[in-house]
Amino acid sequence: MPDLHEPQFACHVEDLTVSYRERPVLWDIDLDIPPGVMAAIVGPNGAGKSTLIKAVLGLVTPVAGHVRVFGLPVTQARRRIAYVPQRQSVDWDFPATVRDVVLMGLYGQVGWFRRPGRAHKARATAALEQVGMQDYANRPISQLSGGQQQRVFIARALVQEADLLFLDEPMAGVDAVTEAAIVALLKAQRDAGRTVVVVHHDLQTVDRYFDWLVMLNQRIIAQGPVAQVYTEDNLRSAYGGQLALIGSLGNAGDAASTPTATAGAGAQDA
Amino acid sequence: MMLDSLDLMILSTGALVAVSGAMLGTFLVLRGQAMSGDAISHAIVLGIVLAWMLTGARAGPVVVLGAALAGMAAVLLAQALSRSGLMGQDAATGLVFPAMFALGVLLINLNARNLHLDIDTVLLGEIGFVWLDTVTIFGLEWPVAGVTLAVVGLLNAGFLLIFWKEQKIAAFDSGLAAALGFRPHVMGLGLLALTAVTAVASFDAVGVVLFLAFLIVPAVTGQLVAASVGGIMVLAMLSGVVSVGAGYAAALTWDVSIGGAMAVATAGGLVLALVLSPRSGVVAALIRRRAIRLEALVATLLTHLAAHENTPRQAEECSTGALVEHLGWEKGAAQTVVLAALDRGVIARANEELALTEAGRALARAAAARTDRRRLFAAQRGDG
Amino acid sequence: MLNPTLITVILAASMIGALAGVLGSFLVLRGQSLLGDVISHAALPGVVGGFLASGGRGFVAILAGALISGALAGLVVQLLRRGAGVKADAALGTVLSLFFAAGVVLLSVAQLRSGAAGLTVFLFGQAASVLRADLMPMALVAGLVLGGVVLLWKEFHLISFDREAAQAQGLPVSLLETVLTVLIAVAIVLGLALAGVVLMVAMLIAPAVAARQWVRGLMPMVLLAAVFGILAGAAGAVISAQGHGVATGPVMVLCATALTAVSLLLAPERGIVARWTRQRRARRSLHGRQVLAALQGLSQAHDDPSYASAEGMLNAYLGASSQPVLDRLKGRGFIRQAAKMEPELGKDRRWELTDAGVLHLENKDETQ
Repeated sequence: MPDLHEPQFACHVEDLTVSYRERPVLWDIDLDIPPGVMAAIVGPNGAGKSTLIKAVLGLVTPVAGHVRVFGLPVTQARRRIAYVPQRQSVDWDFPATVRDVVLMGLYGQVGWFRRPGRAHKARATAALEQVGMQDYANRPISQLSGGQQQRVFIARALVQEADLLFLDEPMAGVDAVTEAAIVALLKAQRDAGRTVVVVHHDLQTVDRYFDWLVMLNQRIIAQGPVAQVYTEDNLRSAYGGQLALIGSLGNAGDAASTPTATAGAGAQDA
Repeated sequence: MMLDSLDLMILSTGALVAVSGAMLGTFLVLRGQAMSGDAISHAIVLGIVLAWMLTGARAGPVVVLGAALAGMAAVLLAQALSRSGLMGQDAATGLVFPAMFALGVLLINLNARNLHLDIDTVLLGEIGFVWLDTVTIFGLEWPVAGVTLAVVGLLNAGFLLIFWKEQKIAAFDSGLAAALGFRPHVMGLGLLALTAVTAVASFDAVGVVLFLAFLIVPAVTGQLVAASVGGIMVLAMLSGVVSVGAGYAAALTWDVSIGGAMAVATAGGLVLALVLSPRSGVVAALIRRRAIRLEALVATLLTHLAAHENTPRQAEECSTGALVEHLGWEKGAAQTVVLAALDRGVIARANEELALTEAGRALARAAAARTDRRRLFAAQRGDG
Repeated sequence: MLNPTLITVILAASMIGALAGVLGSFLVLRGQSLLGDVISHAALPGVVGGFLASGGRGFVAILAGALISGALAGLVVQLLRRGAGVKADAALGTVLSLFFAAGVVLLSVAQLRSGAAGLTVFLFGQAASVLRADLMPMALVAGLVLGGVVLLWKEFHLISFDREAAQAQGLPVSLLETVLTVLIAVAIVLGLALAGVVLMVAMLIAPAVAARQWVRGLMPMVLLAAVFGILAGAAGAVISAQGHGVATGPVMVLCATALTAVSLLLAPERGIVARWTRQRRARRSLHGRQVLAALQGLSQAHDDPSYASAEGMLNAYLGASSQPVLDRLKGRGFIRQAAKMEPELGKDRRWELTDAGVLHLENKDETQ
């Protein structure tokens, strides 16, 4: 039984560095996410947001650093983590029903070699009800709309009843109704004491949806409660001159110098 | 049991190729790795020759192992080249396996005197001769190729049965599979290794390139029709085995290559699926198009009725006859549309007169609104 | 040594190599290498069909048949993908195996006729199959194909690099792609007698990949690929002629692959050797002082004087492997290895400055 290292954090990352073909994609990432928050990870294109999640989960091998989830190494804490990858990372023509996909979320708990049992299938149905897709249980996933696909992915995470959820751009490309539903679901998870970490694509909605914010651009620019971190200075550091949002925060009167979307000093390639 | 009957030997050997091909091919096709099968099929030739050069054996477990390793090496080397960024995955594949195959053919050429391996046989196989090489088990004669394939088939079936859900999740979402700890990369390697072993076991029977047909075509056929992974696999096995039988019959009738005929016969199942598949088939597409056309005609009928409702000419316009005379519809078509509209409850008929129901009126209004919006957009675009 | 037959073969192989290099460049750039594989294998039924139809070894009939079945195969791949939603790799594999199987069936029919023994030539290629009389027609067709490429150069260039821009400019992209595919099919068909259906794809891909390592831009790549194709073809023809009953195709392919391997290794900038040299130079040019300064800077950035830097992180920062320098500094007592945090992601050592190291860094006039 290894010593618990920083167990007070849901996710503790230290010195994490990931390289791709000798160039650093993430460098010297020190990240601490307290339990029970709904956290957003934001940053410009190419900032390494998806890579960060993948490195935390062990899907990408870093060249330096370590990760602890609730004080444990990730390989020992898999039961407590749920992962929702980007929707387009999957081929939706795959021959599976909605229920099949949600059941896959439980494979980790079913374990090697065994098959899902009746109890697992019941939990899958319950998860579908949570996202409002129970009528679609036997529908082939190739017939789903984008919003429905996203709901199925969320159900696949919810069914695991994990304490820590990682979602990669769950609200990208979905309609407003689905977005509101997803936010409500995630907030309910947070209110139930779970920790939710979302790579979020839309800066406009950060302060409405989240209570914790991580700004990333290959390095951690800032992290902490949204109110403290969501400032002009931090946005400028993270996004360079790329945002029209800078200068419009807080109130409309603060128009000042609002740079339009051109590459600034800190611009990174995708 | 007349297992020394020629026909049975050939058919059972072919069926074993088809079954193993279907099992592995289903997952290869789902993973988008069909052409890895192509690469493996060609690269194992080098493995077979090298194994012979090292051990002097032309068959047996060492050869199978060596050839399988060569097949895997081809795929892994191509992946490594592609990952280095020097070329794409397709170019890497097209570079590695022809080179390995070329080396294999050259070595066979140079050692032709000692190595009794006809390169044509390697490529094309000759299932008609499987009975030449037999082994006696339990007092019965079995073709060696058939026995090998049976063992390999059991291996494949066992592997897939044990790792069914692991293979499934690795094929669908390797990110989640890795996050859950299921090692999708290892699952993929296992699949490729078994493909290589099966290809080696098949080359005596049907030759390396014909094996490819049994690996890919039945799986594609299954994918067009079935909606679950298991369904695809069952259909693929069925299609493959039937092709073996049909191909054999055709080969005997027209005196052509048996292996070739069996492989070509897999196209039969594919064509059938392309035509009849409820999802992607030609027939289904035609049916869908008819349904869409009918909907459009019903909408036209409703609009027509709504336009003439409560007008002086209502009685004249709102009848089946008017549809024929004023809208120019064929009598039969008009009747079909009217019946369809009646079925849907959007019109009511009193003798010859047609009248909109409440539902019909609502639909007509919605259709009109859509047309107006479209005209508005078109006008805006024209100005802009 | 240089008998007329050999010259004929060298000329034919050079022509084929050049043509394959040129058209293969487009395949490689468009990520369609395996389409070349499909068209090659799919030519077999056409070859045998042409033989059967012309009642003998009518070269023109055979090549025409090969072209038709090769082009048909390309068409069927498209139909399967667009019409039935079959994925690219599955469509390619399906068409390749089915057409080739049809060729095998036809071959078994043809083998009952006379003169059919020569048909297996098309499987792996045979230098002796090309006659002097074939050279002129071959050159003519090759010239036409190259002429087509030159004529449509701008269009082919655009649809290969930026399909959307081509569409936006109103170019008939589908038509152009079909024309390109037909030209590729002709190039393949011409080469079949020498390289064979199974191996022809390598003559398309290898010279193009090799050329890509040396130059940038479409024109230089196409020209260099042609040169490499000529070299591989000629060398293959000559070498295979030395042996008895050695098929030409495999030797040509091995020559082409060797050229490619050499290019992958030795090309400046992209080459593997060049990469290694760059990395070694970067590693060598790391000064001890640089590394010490980096360590100090990192601990300052973390507001922690006892901060130990992970070696992987240091390498990413410095852009080179700092391992030899770190070992040297450790030997001189300027740094020490910190305790490992276990278990780690990444096989990492962690380093911190010793007091001696801090002094050394601050004492700028101290000799190294």
